[in-house]
Amino acid sequence: MGLNYQLVLWNKNKKVYDRFILLFVLLYLLLFWGITLITNSNTSLETLTIRSSGTLAILLLHIILSIGPLARINKKFLPLLYNRRHLGVSMFLIALIHGGFSIFQFHMLGDVNPIYSVFTSNLDYSSLHDFPFQVLGFLALLILFAMAATSHDFWLANLSAKTWKTLHMLVYVAYALIVSHVFLGAFQQETSPYMPVLMGIGFVVLVILHISAGIKEVKKDKQTYEASDEDWKYVCEIDEIEEDRAKIFIVDHERIAIFKYENKLSAIHNVCKHQGGPLGEGKIIDGCITCPWHGYQYLPQNGQSPPPFTEKVATYYVKIEDKKVYVLPKPLDEGTEVSPAIIES
Amino acid sequence: MVITIISFFLKVLAVYFGMGVLFGIYFLFIGATKIDPLMKNSKWIVRLLLFPGVVATWICLLPKLYKK
Repeated sequence: MGLNYQLVLWNKNKKVYDRFILLFVLLYLLLFWGITLITNSNTSLETLTIRSSGTLAILLLHIILSIGPLARINKKFLPLLYNRRHLGVSMFLIALIHGGFSIFQFHMLGDVNPIYSVFTSNLDYSSLHDFPFQVLGFLALLILFAMAATSHDFWLANLSAKTWKTLHMLVYVAYALIVSHVFLGAFQQETSPYMPVLMGIGFVVLVILHISAGIKEVKKDKQTYEASDEDWKYVCEIDEIEEDRAKIFIVDHERIAIFKYENKLSAIHNVCKHQGGPLGEGKIIDGCITCPWHGYQYLPQNGQSPPPFTEKVATYYVKIEDKKVYVLPKPLDEGTEVSPAIIES
Repeated sequence: MVITIISFFLKVLAVYFGMGVLFGIYFLFIGATKIDPLMKNSKWIVRLLLFPGVVATWICLLPKLYKK
């Protein structure tokens, strides 16, 4: 937040998640190497590295792509969003090991530039059976590099949110390239059906998760709230909002998060100024609304980040009548102080 | 024909990243604070961390630098 850029935005929870990532990666590599060496002791070190890093990168990519829809379907998955950035960079580094070793083993020994060799050692581009699948992996790696290299707050601020988001949505292009890389590679080299079958299952799971999350979002967006007097909109009963949490409402096409805390209600715009995270899916920590994505904080009564930080979001008037919650959907200027609605017991 | 397209693509890629490296060196020593004033109070190692991103996206930063 605000005054300078940190090398890495670490907090206690993120350190725990990063340890989990490291443990998972080491455990996976250990298991992969162990099982492969037991079943085929002639496997070379380069082949082991290429295969273990390739499969691990694909597995991590599936986990990364699942986190977004899972968090939309069930709030319990929200903490996983905290560390998606670190998981993404880890996945790129592992994919880089896979790509680097592959180029070293298959394209470095000739007198041709190894990158040129990736593209020209097999020119059967019109064949599905013999397609030079390494090219697809190389292109996917380029996209993953651009994404990993811009996974820092500096880029969000200086590429603009729209450009940054567009760049990072290319992960789906990278995924399509990787799926093709695996399937076309399997046609040529893979004797075991396990990898293509697992990849197919992963693809189907991702499609189902994205469609389910999309349906849930559309339902939420279509939900309308009855109008009351003076343009106030009824949204819910007080008891429907958990303590130190919020409910998100789409009122007149605006996403508004209404927070309940210390027997009070406050309403702010749902979108975090940092990376557009859903503030209403966060909770109140130390008296501040805390974004679930990267921990940016705002005071509930005025939508301002606590000093010395300067981020602000719009606030809304909210009132309670007969235990019913009403909101005035017209946004006030960002950072405008609004007296919270008091919950009378 | 395929070879020509591949050669052209790889040359474009090499030129793009080559210019990115040059821009990245400028970014490390001068450009960072011109592009974003918050870099003044940031540790120098942050610039090194941002270097690969500058190489990849220098073309998006160039207009921002020009405007300033």
